[in-house]
Amino acid sequence: MAGSVIVITSGKGGVGKTTTSANIGTALAHLGYKVVLIDTDIGLRNLDLLLGLENRIVYTIVDVVEERCKLKQALVKDKKNPNLCLLAAAQTRDKSAVDADQLKDICDKLKEEFDYVLVDCPAGIEQGFQNAVAGANEAIVVTTPEMSAIRDADRIIGLLESKEGVERYRLLVNRVRPKLIKSNDMMGVDDVVEILSCDLIGVIPEDTNIITSTNKGEPVVNDEKSLAGMAYINVAKRITGEDVPLLDIDEPTNFIDKIKKFFAKKA
Amino acid sequence: MYDNEYFVVDMASCTSTGEIINSLSLALETLNHSGKKIVLKLNESYLNQSQMLSIQSLITSYGCILDTVETINPDTAKIAENMNILVQKPIEKRVDDSYETSSNKDFEPFSIQLNRKPDDIALKDVTGLHFEADLDAIQKQQNDININLDLKEAGVNPRSDFETIEEQISNQYTKPEDIIPNVEEYSKIVSPMESLDFPEVQVEEKQEFENAEKNSIGVYKKAYDENQLQDDEWEEVDFYETPTNDPVISDTKNTTYINQTLRSGQILEADGNVVIIGDCHPGSEIRAVGDITVWGVLSGIAHAGCKGNINAKVRALKMNAVQLRIGNCYSRRPDGTNIPYIIRSSIFTPEEARVIDGEIMLFKINQN
Repeated sequence: MAGSVIVITSGKGGVGKTTTSANIGTALAHLGYKVVLIDTDIGLRNLDLLLGLENRIVYTIVDVVEERCKLKQALVKDKKNPNLCLLAAAQTRDKSAVDADQLKDICDKLKEEFDYVLVDCPAGIEQGFQNAVAGANEAIVVTTPEMSAIRDADRIIGLLESKEGVERYRLLVNRVRPKLIKSNDMMGVDDVVEILSCDLIGVIPEDTNIITSTNKGEPVVNDEKSLAGMAYINVAKRITGEDVPLLDIDEPTNFIDKIKKFFAKKA
Repeated sequence: MYDNEYFVVDMASCTSTGEIINSLSLALETLNHSGKKIVLKLNESYLNQSQMLSIQSLITSYGCILDTVETINPDTAKIAENMNILVQKPIEKRVDDSYETSSNKDFEPFSIQLNRKPDDIALKDVTGLHFEADLDAIQKQQNDININLDLKEAGVNPRSDFETIEEQISNQYTKPEDIIPNVEEYSKIVSPMESLDFPEVQVEEKQEFENAEKNSIGVYKKAYDENQLQDDEWEEVDFYETPTNDPVISDTKNTTYINQTLRSGQILEADGNVVIIGDCHPGSEIRAVGDITVWGVLSGIAHAGCKGNINAKVRALKMNAVQLRIGNCYSRRPDGTNIPYIIRSSIFTPEEARVIDGEIMLFKINQN
């Protein structure tokens, strides 16, 4: 059975596409699936940094397309998990170095061998987006609870609907801050889902561990204590078809919050 | 001392005629000096008549006139005089300095002695030295003049046929090609990607994925103990020790100087050696046929000897390279050793990467 190609996209930049790709990929590999991550952000690659594989890259996707190497040679294996591979983007070229058909070919070849092919999409709706979406049969739209990100996500969903290959798309709400939602300073997850009228695949809370893990080059999923890491593992499980309830992210963590919650219930 | 219609070219640092001609033509080409009188500063280098003639005809070909030659070499001065070129002895800086200090009262007795026109000193000294020139040098000059006469007999006009004369001169010197033994090695140029020997996996497709590990590249190691170095910091070094390493062939190739920071996504390609005065940020790439020297932090990818020269070297004030490639040897930075973008200069340890038995090793610079 051929694996599925999942594109991770958002339209707006800085909402956490690359972080999501790295973490879902690692989580799926932990679950025992064979996963390959494709970075299509040619010229502004970051996925290799998040995985800590920067120093292992010899060949890139551009080398594969221009037939300087075989596809297998360009795949970089993860340090810890042999189930996880990375096909890196070239840093010294730009998006026009690859076209949609070539990327579709690569995805088709890879999905024969791997259970999941995750494509990290660049920001924007230009050539880079068109390339990334070309081979995909599933999509995860990443957004944050902000008007600008939601508007861009809406545009992306519209474009995905018009694509033939993409069978289903689901929404991932990233960087959610339960405190702000409670005080009505941030849109709730329900509101976002309602505005976009789209299936939800997961909610990721804002987590400072993400910053440190990015700098260390180790996905946050490897940190068992991290709330965001747990949320990503749940997302990975939902991708595989498992039915996992949403993580309770607004659980009060300290004593004072618990007292506040107690009184709030009484009132 | 020279007014606007003069153009002073300082060749004091040049040692060979080829060098003089090269830098002179560069100087004349870059600026428009047609009709100007050239003052050539030669200091002590010796030029025979044919060399002087070729320089003169080079200058006339650019529409200028060789007016004055500043030299302290008596032989050169004599030849120049024969060619109706003014000769002056270069004014030493010391004389100028004493002019300035002459107003100082402490130096009054000296100022009287030196309070002459520098031109007078120069002319007198040059004429005085003329007759002290040794016989050998005169004989040499005579031979050179004979060559020149031969040329005239052969119907060659030295002033117009500059190239012919240059040929004559170059035959007297060894060509750089003769010194480099294996020039042909460089002509067998393969593109860097083709030259890599990755293990060809010709089994079934599925097995290729399992064998992907084989393609992984090794880590570069330090050839010295880092901790020990800090203890031995004050070790006495014999600075007069003669260098044991033979000069590398690639050193004779031309060198590119880059005076800027190389940023992410930028590639620098050169068909000789490369010297970068600045940092190389992660994501940048340097490919050079010869050596690579980075006067700063090297954090990108460096490929020295990218057309197959395994003797090429990579040097940096701080080696933090993501990957080092020399010839067809690849190596990567050990995991977890990445140092942050901003680095204190106190932890700079200049290192040199060389290939030892097919492995890239880091040496402290000057370590044997």
